[in-house]
Amino acid sequence: MWTFFLRRLIVLLAALVFVSLLAFLIPYMSGPEPAKMIIHSRVANLAVDPDTVERMRVHLGLDRPLAVQYLDWLGNAVRGDFGYTFTDRLPVSDHIRPAIVVSVTLALTALALALAVALPLGALAALKPGRPLDNFVTFLTQSLVAVPEYWIAPMLTLVFAVNLHWLPSAGWRGPEYAVLPAFALALRPMAYFTRVTRAAMIDVLEAPYITAALSRGLGMVRTIQRHGVRNALPPVITLFAMWLSGLIGGAVVVEVIFSIPGMGRLLYEAVVNKDIPMLQGAIVVLVAFAVLVSTLTDIIYVLLNPAVRITDAQA
Amino acid sequence: MPRPDAAGMQLAPAPGPRGAVHESIDRSLRILRTRHWSFNIGCALFLLILAVLVLAPWITPYDPNAQELVKRLSPVSSEHWLGTDQLGRDTFSRLLFGGRFSVTVAAVIIAISVVVGTILGVISARAGGIVDEVTMRTVDLLIAFPDVLVALFLIAIVGPGHVALISALTLVAWTPFARMARSLTLEINSRDFITAAEVLGCTRSFIIFRHVIPNAYRPIAAITFLRFGHKLITVGALSFLGLGVQPPNSDWGAMLADALRFVERAPMLAFAPGFAIFITALSVTLIGQGLEIEAKPRGAGGDSPGDARPPDPARDVAKP
Repeated sequence: MWTFFLRRLIVLLAALVFVSLLAFLIPYMSGPEPAKMIIHSRVANLAVDPDTVERMRVHLGLDRPLAVQYLDWLGNAVRGDFGYTFTDRLPVSDHIRPAIVVSVTLALTALALALAVALPLGALAALKPGRPLDNFVTFLTQSLVAVPEYWIAPMLTLVFAVNLHWLPSAGWRGPEYAVLPAFALALRPMAYFTRVTRAAMIDVLEAPYITAALSRGLGMVRTIQRHGVRNALPPVITLFAMWLSGLIGGAVVVEVIFSIPGMGRLLYEAVVNKDIPMLQGAIVVLVAFAVLVSTLTDIIYVLLNPAVRITDAQA
Repeated sequence: MPRPDAAGMQLAPAPGPRGAVHESIDRSLRILRTRHWSFNIGCALFLLILAVLVLAPWITPYDPNAQELVKRLSPVSSEHWLGTDQLGRDTFSRLLFGGRFSVTVAAVIIAISVVVGTILGVISARAGGIVDEVTMRTVDLLIAFPDVLVALFLIAIVGPGHVALISALTLVAWTPFARMARSLTLEINSRDFITAAEVLGCTRSFIIFRHVIPNAYRPIAAITFLRFGHKLITVGALSFLGLGVQPPNSDWGAMLADALRFVERAPMLAFAPGFAIFITALSVTLIGQGLEIEAKPRGAGGDSPGDARPPDPARDVAKP
């Protein structure tokens, strides 16, 4: 079990280092040389005196070997210092810290909503596979998967914010502001959670220990509570974790539509404004977060599923 | 189907021309009945959409770029079936031409991903060792990030455009196919006919292309369609953000983004392209789901030797 953890952790940390290297290299891979880019971000005039560029290079240490610069940058990044943004020249971390809180809140709200619908729906469909209710749930999940969130979001806004005035249309100033975006974000994970719950429940219900429990005289509800849910959970948890790290940076479109100051919008604006320090910071933080979530999932997965422990000990 | 010849007629009661038609209808119905309903509905819908998109130049009543400023943002009418946009261009015509872009871009991404992913997955399962380790760790790595994130990262480096979009999304899209192909191959590897082929001295590529891939193609076809819908939505998302197809070309995502400014005056303008993405994604998802249900014998749990963790296909299909 521990070698399994260790191997995954090493891979993920290697990934983090690799991504940080890529992020560090962004200014070298895109556009003119970095010193010129920095000057361009501050003065409108595109014709820059070569002398000024040279002085900037020396001043910022951009004339040192790349490896030295990278280690220097990485050292600062580990301490949370990604430099200053091009757009408003505030520290990048000042932008990221509140944004990550907003994004995590939004993602958790959306996923909680998704789970609240998906778990009962999936379990219900699994009770009688192939029956009308199951077919209906299957069709429903397929439709939900196919809904683009950047379409449902403006349509919901049009109905509930513009016409009915029930909910605010954009911004992030209170719980009511989270309703529409969370709903728009929840649809697709909801469909996937339902499908996975259904599949897992069908497998579980066929297992001998369920028959055993039922024949011992344990009621259906108690059986599912005691044996069903626990055994059906691991795949749902894996998916939950994937979507959690997915929604934190991946909710770009919804965050842009509802002007929510989260990580997705931060990243999008950094790309649009070619704000390189911001981009580097956002990417490294998001990847670090994904690594963290992925490791935690592995731990939970093993804790919930003793079979994995045994399989791995034998391997 | 071939018509019954004279010899056949002697044996069976003569069906005659009407009988032949009935028989052919019967046979088609039987085929339709054996397929899952999800597959049938999806196929019909998808073929219809494809036909409309292919025949767009002959169907559309207007040039998609012809402006008629007098009639801008006009509502649904018999003249303009879905109204017009802010420049007086016919929404219906633009929808069909935009759809050609959306569907093609998504199809190109999926086609490359299926081929590359399947081959990498099969090879890594057949070869094992370091090849397997490197491929699968790369997959683990890429699967941890949502597609939009990787795409944004790449677009930040190379700049927007549909070539950047295709390369960025292909870079992450192959991973589910590799995982799926690998776990299928591991299962197939343990079968007798593979051992037989190996004993007979068949070449590695012969075993892969004649034995492994033909036995693995059904589940792979299923996730191909399931991921196709996802790609369609992702491509639309990036175009929506202005990072995909660049003007003067336009696809559904870009049309939707343009329409949002006028959503209160002309709701249909925003509704239509989003609905087009939805219905197309739905059709391919239906096909994929149908294939998946058909491909999976009931009660077959996934157990693949040599993997610490049982593969769960949900992880591959449901990736954000």
